[in-house]
Amino acid sequence: MTALFRYQTDLLVRSQRWLPPFILYAVFLAVGVQSGQPILDSLGYTAAALLPVAAWLVRICVTNEPAAARGCVSAAVGPGRAHLAPLLVALTAAATLGALATVLVTLISDPTSADRQTAVPRLPAGASGLLAALVCALLGTAVGALTTWPLLRSTGRAIPAMLLTALLSVVVTGSPARAAVSGLVTGSRSGTVPLPLLPLAGAALFTAAATALACALSSRRSP
Amino acid sequence: MQRDLRLDNVGRRYGLRGPWVLRAVNLAIAPGTLTRVEGANGTGKSTLLRLLAGIDAPTEGRITGRPRTAYVPERFPSALPFTAVGYLTHLGTVHGLSRASATRAAHACLERFGAAAYARTPMAQLSKGSSQKVAVAQALLAEPEFLVLDEAWTGLDEDARAELERAVAERTAVGASVVFVDHDPSRLAGVPDVICTVRDGGVNRRTEHPTSPAAGPRTVVVAQGPRGGALPAETAGLPLTTLEETTAGTYRITVPASHSDVLLRALLMSRPPWHVVAVGSEETP
Repeated sequence: MTALFRYQTDLLVRSQRWLPPFILYAVFLAVGVQSGQPILDSLGYTAAALLPVAAWLVRICVTNEPAAARGCVSAAVGPGRAHLAPLLVALTAAATLGALATVLVTLISDPTSADRQTAVPRLPAGASGLLAALVCALLGTAVGALTTWPLLRSTGRAIPAMLLTALLSVVVTGSPARAAVSGLVTGSRSGTVPLPLLPLAGAALFTAAATALACALSSRRSP
Repeated sequence: MQRDLRLDNVGRRYGLRGPWVLRAVNLAIAPGTLTRVEGANGTGKSTLLRLLAGIDAPTEGRITGRPRTAYVPERFPSALPFTAVGYLTHLGTVHGLSRASATRAAHACLERFGAAAYARTPMAQLSKGSSQKVAVAQALLAEPEFLVLDEAWTGLDEDARAELERAVAERTAVGASVVFVDHDPSRLAGVPDVICTVRDGGVNRRTEHPTSPAAGPRTVVVAQGPRGGALPAETAGLPLTTLEETTAGTYRITVPASHSDVLLRALLMSRPPWHVVAVGSEETP
């Protein structure tokens, strides 16, 4: 699995297709986050914007390898693992990007509540932001895995489905991503740092299930 | 001891309501055997090979006993952002080699197929034939126990085609099984142990008789061994075309050209070793 992970990582890095989602994320942040804003609000925004980026990275990683090359890898390690590797690489890339952005936002934001009355400690706020970013990276990976091959094969259906699902997972009540992000936003109003462990557990479970489904289907659908 | 790869009542269709491409296929691939898969275009040869290689799961039935497998697709894309050796090193480690031995095997494999000059060339700049050589190399570099070749010869130059035939002979000689599809009927002619014909969603299996006249080029080896003895046990699995004892202890052995190296190795490595008197290609009658 280590060799497979390295292969897929190298494939993503060298293909340079990671660049557009990274730039999109940077633009999201440049528009929505400015230095001196309340820290928890900015961290909530940072986490929420990561979800579609993670979904896009999954799409890139899964479609990056030509079908014939995937066949060679599938024969060697089995189609399930051959599909798991790009999903893990996308999750790792999204989580790394989210962590970097969270650290940056933690450093440049104002450590106060939304009404600037209560002080919010920087370090716990940053940790909470990291967890929220991880929730969104996980859920974005799940969205990506469910809206690309082998579940949706035609690009014309897959991309609108991915965008819509990514949007819905940020706004619909009951979604772990929405719970994590709104936890930060309400925490900012009251000046308390939330600990989004329940959303994290929910996101991890859901992503594991989505990944298992995608990997199981990878040997059953045509390329 | 390696087991047979078994297909029990295997069926495959694409999509939930698609037509059955293959149905009720029962097949066993024994270690050390060479199997040729035949059939007209679109009959499901590639589907059968993908099932055998484990890339696709059967819609019904089960496949058991898969050894370490390698697969060569019919068309290999060059749209990979690696150099040839970079890609092969990655695939070698995916096949379970260490990084250092994967790089060594990658260079050796490219050299073997006459592509050493392209080792550092980006895959995107390779010609179709050269990228097919990379596809063949990725399958051979980890010495798989089961090799699936889907028209792997297509696009290769003449030297590389003969080299691939010899590589197939080598794999089967060390107990690996090989399954291949090729549209050239003279490809490894007379060598396969089993011929499978795919027709109307079924697979018809027949064992090839080793005595059948081989159409391809042949090599004659004259060798001396113990008087009144038989050929060494290592040659047991070889598809010998003819074998005659010209004088006491001197044998004239004819094999398909692809298997001459394997025969010589078997003769020279046997204990006590045989003495090779002459090797030549058989004059066409």
